[in-house]
Amino acid sequence: MEVLTPRSLGEALRIKAERPDAVPIQGGTDVMVELNFDRARPPALLNLNEVPELRGWSHENGMLRLGSGLTYTEAMALSERLRALAEASRTVGGPQIRNRGTIGGNLGTASPAGDALPPLLVYGAEVELAGPNGSRRLPLQEFLVGPKRNALAEDELIVAVYVRPLGSRQTFMKVGPRNAMVIAVVSLAMCVDEERNEIRVSFGSAGPVAGVVTAPLDEADDLPQRVAEAASPIDDVRGTARYRRHALQVLTSRALVRCLT
Amino acid sequence: MARLIRTEKEVEGRYTEQWVVVEEDAAIDQWPAGPRETVGRPVPRVDGYERARGQALFTADVALPGMLHAAVLRSPYARARVRRLDLSRAREADWVLGAIGPDDCDALTLEPGFHGEPVAAVAVDSPGRAREALELIDVDWEELEPLLDPEEAVRRNELHEEPRRYERGDADAAFADADVVVEAEYRTQTVLHNPLETHQSVCRWEGDTLEVYISTQFIWGVRDDIAESLDLPPDRIRVICNFMGGGFGAKNGAHAQTFIAIALASQTGRPVRCALSRREENLATGNRNSTIQRLRAGARSDGTLVALEGEFVNAVGWKGWSGPTYGPMEMLYACENVRTLTYGAKLNLPPNAAFRAPGFVEGTFGLECLLDELAGRLELDPLELRARNHADRDLADDRPYSSKNLLECYRRAEPHWARRDAVRARSEGPWRRGVGLASQIWYGGGGPPSYAWVRIGSDGRATVITAMQDIGTGTRTAMAQIAAEELGLPLDRVRVSLGDSSRGPYASISAGSSTTPSMGPAVRAAAADAARQVIEIAAQRYHLEERLLTMQGGKVVSSDGGSWPLEEVTGLLEDAQILGKGARGPNPTGMRVLTFGIQVADVAVDVETGEVRVERIAAIHDVGRVINPLGAQSQVEGGIIQGVGHTLSEERLVDPASGIVLTQSLDAYKLPTIADVPEIVVELLDIPDEHLTNLGSKGLGEPPIVPTAAAIVNAIRDATGADVRSLPVSRDEMLRALREARERERAAAPA
Repeated sequence: MEVLTPRSLGEALRIKAERPDAVPIQGGTDVMVELNFDRARPPALLNLNEVPELRGWSHENGMLRLGSGLTYTEAMALSERLRALAEASRTVGGPQIRNRGTIGGNLGTASPAGDALPPLLVYGAEVELAGPNGSRRLPLQEFLVGPKRNALAEDELIVAVYVRPLGSRQTFMKVGPRNAMVIAVVSLAMCVDEERNEIRVSFGSAGPVAGVVTAPLDEADDLPQRVAEAASPIDDVRGTARYRRHALQVLTSRALVRCLT
Repeated sequence: MARLIRTEKEVEGRYTEQWVVVEEDAAIDQWPAGPRETVGRPVPRVDGYERARGQALFTADVALPGMLHAAVLRSPYARARVRRLDLSRAREADWVLGAIGPDDCDALTLEPGFHGEPVAAVAVDSPGRAREALELIDVDWEELEPLLDPEEAVRRNELHEEPRRYERGDADAAFADADVVVEAEYRTQTVLHNPLETHQSVCRWEGDTLEVYISTQFIWGVRDDIAESLDLPPDRIRVICNFMGGGFGAKNGAHAQTFIAIALASQTGRPVRCALSRREENLATGNRNSTIQRLRAGARSDGTLVALEGEFVNAVGWKGWSGPTYGPMEMLYACENVRTLTYGAKLNLPPNAAFRAPGFVEGTFGLECLLDELAGRLELDPLELRARNHADRDLADDRPYSSKNLLECYRRAEPHWARRDAVRARSEGPWRRGVGLASQIWYGGGGPPSYAWVRIGSDGRATVITAMQDIGTGTRTAMAQIAAEELGLPLDRVRVSLGDSSRGPYASISAGSSTTPSMGPAVRAAAADAARQVIEIAAQRYHLEERLLTMQGGKVVSSDGGSWPLEEVTGLLEDAQILGKGARGPNPTGMRVLTFGIQVADVAVDVETGEVRVERIAAIHDVGRVINPLGAQSQVEGGIIQGVGHTLSEERLVDPASGIVLTQSLDAYKLPTIADVPEIVVELLDIPDEHLTNLGSKGLGEPPIVPTAAAIVNAIRDATGADVRSLPVSRDEMLRALREARERERAAAPA
């Protein structure tokens, strides 16, 4: 297997255009699992670890730009600005995984259990994709098109995520079969958007893609019920559909208490 | 003098009578109770640095020149027939050096009875390429309908053995006379051993000798298994296991991987490693099988148990044995009338294997939960109910105990139990808190034969030599402590050489909590034999009476004042050596040697999400003299952590239609992490068993896991009023039990 290591975003995009079969790898916490379990044998890996444009975060026109190479450990340090994302990042794997894993990886894998997705969805995040003909921005909800499927073209790379800072009334919760190092049975993010006078909720592991439910602030009481109804969970080794629906209802009620009182 | 005796040997509840030759060890009196110079004091592992530096060589580290790697073709179906197995493409490929099928190796089969059963194997020079070579094996599978439901197996009489029936007294009459009868059905799940080191063997022919490096709990058992299967003289088989990454009962024999490696080594003339991946480990190397337990208890209104009855279905799997799930019911309490019926269902599921107190973990869960349900009906304190039914004598075998301090364990549990009002008062919001307890009974006496040698050189240093294995429990350290104590030497002047059948005498299996009680007395006897010789030599050299001399602090000390460093005495000998030998004596005749204890658990239950957190477990166990309190504490902590996993998160799941195992990886199979570990308080009584050997020590590997699940589930009942009757306590199961409790309450409330 070839490992291609570009040193700049331009070089990375050139390689990706020439070798669309090269699988991008950053922290490797998803890609390496696929390789080790022999579920995928790509002809080449595109190692993005040496591309400086993908690292860190910055302010840009009143928005926060999170590089797709932002690790969960780095995201945990954003708790003043993006509390729900920081809380979600804290629940990812163990310290080693959080040091390696990136939010770009969550977007690329597009698993309904990706812990960073519900917080980014309630922020109304936009994803920046770059390709040979320039870059485009897509709302995250449109980017996630199905279970483990996204709108990324084969010659494109995920560059960054843009979010609007929304104040401190936000939270993330996760239910797992044990206290650490778990894929969520269900997860839930909530934030209050005072500008639009609404509450947004997003849930993971309870449908083919992470779901979003929005309600005006004065209709908060119905939210637990509405979230449970919006979910379309299945039975799997981690939990039953019935339990997932129940847990979403409980988590929504608790998140409302955290965000509204 | 060598003495031929008939003695009883017990491993994990199975008794056998056997002849053994033992050296007289009755002459060695037990040490007085309490900490000695070295024995009874906390000692870090003597091999701690080697382990921490990565220098300890595990079987996984064995790399022999020219070694090949095996990969195993396993059945993808729970039950199948191989219509055609064609190895020719594999045999023709020049990079594939060995390929075997059932004709070459008895561990392979054309009629697999469980998902993961080995069918064929190849040997190649790298593990990755070996897995690739499996694609060159052509197989036509005929998938057959599997039998997966244990109750259906019982109906169809698909059993491993005749149903086991036991009765003492007259249970029917006693139930009819009882003031209160409670009954319930309990279920336990299948759980996996998951030792850190997977099953693996490296086999090599050296001349006419077969060398087997293996991760094992029983070097001599491996030797016997191979000798018997291959019809080889046992002394032409050398079995080596220096360091071992755990087994929990699943590594008591040679196992399929060894026979596959031997067959490939014979075919290729090269050393062959057969090491299982984690996924293979979780498919095909054993498990604690699931059980169904229909239990009934009858009592008088004062709490006296008058009758117990249990029907147990052990879902054994395709191979294995029907474990003593009935054991706690027959042994734990002073109940005159007991009836049990036990089935071992034969199913198209991976075989079970002994797993840390097999049967008793499952049986204790059922019985001890039922006892708390009884306590609830009688409005009696659960600890008081247990004390009232204490057995002063073993009723199952009608024998006295060699020692039993369970009532002292109960007394020591009182302060932990008395905290429950304060714990309950800390309930807040959806979190309900409570405390529960459960009693523990298990074997752990060990037995003969077991031998050790002690060699003292002219430098005044001693080496303990015995062909036992340290399975990770700290046996090396305990044996060094025992020898150091007897020889009056500082611990750093004693080495322990073990792990090689050609470099030491026969030693016990490390299973059934038997290593310390089997091996410790042999080591002490060998050290005492060496000490006697040192004293005889010193007496002659310094013209003293032997009875005045002892070995202390690295010296030979005379009670009339003189002392001589040991190396001065042994230095006389130059290259000569002092060789002591010792044997494990017999177990006390006509007595039952058992271990006892109690655990008290604090839990918190989120009644809305069903999340359960174990916050604290106090473990009080009676296992005779404790050799190394530090190692013993680790054992208790390990047992409890494994018990917490079994109670809350671990479960091997199988697709109910096909019998395919769904939880092969450690992502799907949830072992507890450090974030799930409660505060653990360990109290060991440390009272030597005066009837048992020259040490008075029993084993401790298994007792700590026995009562954990029941104590946690009883704490859940205390916290919430819900009767959990099925393991693991998943959030679904917890919410189901809470709903049931609410409905019961509504039904009981006046309209």
